Amino acid sequence: MNEVMSPLSPPSPLRAGAAWRSTAALLLKLRSLLALAILVLFFSSMTSSFLTANNLSILAKHVAITALLAVGTSFVILAGGIDLSLGSVAGLSGMIAGYLLVDGMRFAGAPHFLPAWLVILLSLACGGIVGWVNGILVTRFSIPPFIATLGTLYVGRGAALLISNGRTFPDLAGDAARHNTGFPLLGQAYLAGIPLPVWLMAMLAFLAWLLASKTPFGRHVYAVGGNERAALLCGIAVSRVKIWTYIISGFCAALVGLIIAGQLEAAHPATGQSFELNAIAAVVLGGTSLIGGRGSIGGSLVGAFVIGVLADGLVMLGVSEFWQMVIKGVVIILAVGIDQLQNRFQLRLQESR
Amino acid sequence: MSPRMLTPFVLGLLSALLLVACRGNTVSHRKLVEVIVPSQDNPYFQAEAAAAAARARELGYDVRIDAHNDDPYTQDNLIDVAIASNASVLILDNAGADASISAVRRAAKAGIACFLIDREIRASNIAKAQIVADNLGGAELLGKRFADVLGGRGTYAELLGRESDTNAQLRNSGFHLSLDKYPQLIRVAAQSANWSQSEAFQRTETILQAHNDLNGIIAGNDTMALGALAAVKNDRRKKMTIVGFDGSPDALSAIREGTLDATILQPAVKIAVLAVDEADRLIKTGTTGLPERQWVPCELVTRQNVDEFGAFQRTKPKQAGE
Repeated sequence: MNEVMSPLSPPSPLRAGAAWRSTAALLLKLRSLLALAILVLFFSSMTSSFLTANNLSILAKHVAITALLAVGTSFVILAGGIDLSLGSVAGLSGMIAGYLLVDGMRFAGAPHFLPAWLVILLSLACGGIVGWVNGILVTRFSIPPFIATLGTLYVGRGAALLISNGRTFPDLAGDAARHNTGFPLLGQAYLAGIPLPVWLMAMLAFLAWLLASKTPFGRHVYAVGGNERAALLCGIAVSRVKIWTYIISGFCAALVGLIIAGQLEAAHPATGQSFELNAIAAVVLGGTSLIGGRGSIGGSLVGAFVIGVLADGLVMLGVSEFWQMVIKGVVIILAVGIDQLQNRFQLRLQESR
Repeated sequence: MSPRMLTPFVLGLLSALLLVACRGNTVSHRKLVEVIVPSQDNPYFQAEAAAAAARARELGYDVRIDAHNDDPYTQDNLIDVAIASNASVLILDNAGADASISAVRRAAKAGIACFLIDREIRASNIAKAQIVADNLGGAELLGKRFADVLGGRGTYAELLGRESDTNAQLRNSGFHLSLDKYPQLIRVAAQSANWSQSEAFQRTETILQAHNDLNGIIAGNDTMALGALAAVKNDRRKKMTIVGFDGSPDALSAIREGTLDATILQPAVKIAVLAVDEADRLIKTGTTGLPERQWVPCELVTRQNVDEFGAFQRTKPKQAGE
């Protein structure tokens, strides 16, 4: 809508129709924000403890987990892929950190303990490596992303269980004598009154937004997802772009695993089960097409907020766990249904012009 | 899409939000008891949660029930929400002896009185009480019953629970406190079936292939015992002695039918009610008057006394002479 409407001009029937349509289009476009606003309104009217500073800080901390996963995996989905290994990578990275902090690295019999920052870097690198493996499987071996990452989902979970033989690594606080204290800060520290995971979410979402919308890499991701063959013919290194999307996704998943291990001060091998589904739901709620090529990082962020607000709000209201599942499913279906409606609507709008 | 339309739209939403926020209705003046159990689709945890909730409502509290599905991170989130809702009491059947410590500590710091039921955590002086069934003692009792029925001789198989679970280890040790006193009673197979009925069914089928002279099966819980029972039934072999642990309604009816020999009843209902009563006492008098670690004895259920029990609780007093 580029035309400027003067408030003085009498509203002709045609104009009124156009205005109504443009408002409807706007509402559709902002639907995830709208859904979020409606949810927040609803929950705060139902329970007085919802809109308190304390709860909002807790809520943001919970959202950060889904948001980090969603932002990371947005690249994969924008490029037309899918990453089902997110939850397993989160579990695996936590277990690697737990192993390095509690059991230590064994050289010549004696365990050696690394400082917490190095443990964090190594665990993040492992997440990147799993992502790289996903990328190689998808590009070099032409395994469909759904199958390749389903495979790494199982391998990752199995590896996480193998590291400790199913045991939980307790007490990740570290030991001053081993010079490896400080790890739990990743999940528990506060900066300026806001939990560290929320800062990490904000920072990574900003970086991801820059990457997606302001760099050649971002444009290539959209191009590959939009039309892979065309992208290839344009001289885009399709395989390299795809591999990097999986590496970003794996890295973010590993970060999530470390944050959770920090919060719990323990690494549990089953951590992150079905996180990938939450992340994919958040991305889709944010208006990103699962076929690739269309969507945004901001959308994924809003999607993560919708899922987080819904989850915490329903718990606060004391809604039964079974109903929570039903409601979550309905919200996802509604969101994607409206997505299709918007496509049709915009097409009609263009035709009518 | 003009950005000029966006500003009033967002402003309108925000003001509406603030309006609602300031109103904040449905303020309840009752204290909130948050009950978190592993799952809401398992009869044991259902009984436990329902008993705690009923008792708390009876004593005039608001109650909320949630499930963490054995995921420490879900539990962590639920406890956060309990803190945000200003809960007074947390009744928790936790998601891991190590992985639950930081969450319980956070709840305690926020002023919530934490009562752990059914499973302990490996830390003391955080929770007001940790009330669990005496698994070791119960398992020892069951081991003795199993050996007695077999006449102290023969071969048996053991189905173990999930290896990472402390209760699986405790029950295994308890069984062998009794069983290892009988040198002619030989364990020919020991397999983990992860507490699961279908896994126990498959494991038992395989074990029966390898050992066709098996006399009995001792299982770490009722679900696995029932899986084993189904496999033995399919095999149409001579009667075998099978025992389980927990006291689930299905196990009790199998005992009534005579297919299952015995089970150990975990007093889940009693434990849940105890926890709520102690929480109430703490709120009213400032102390529970009891030590933090409390063990509630388990009871052996056989065909003789099965009618004295309901789902995870004793419903009739003990008959004389037992």
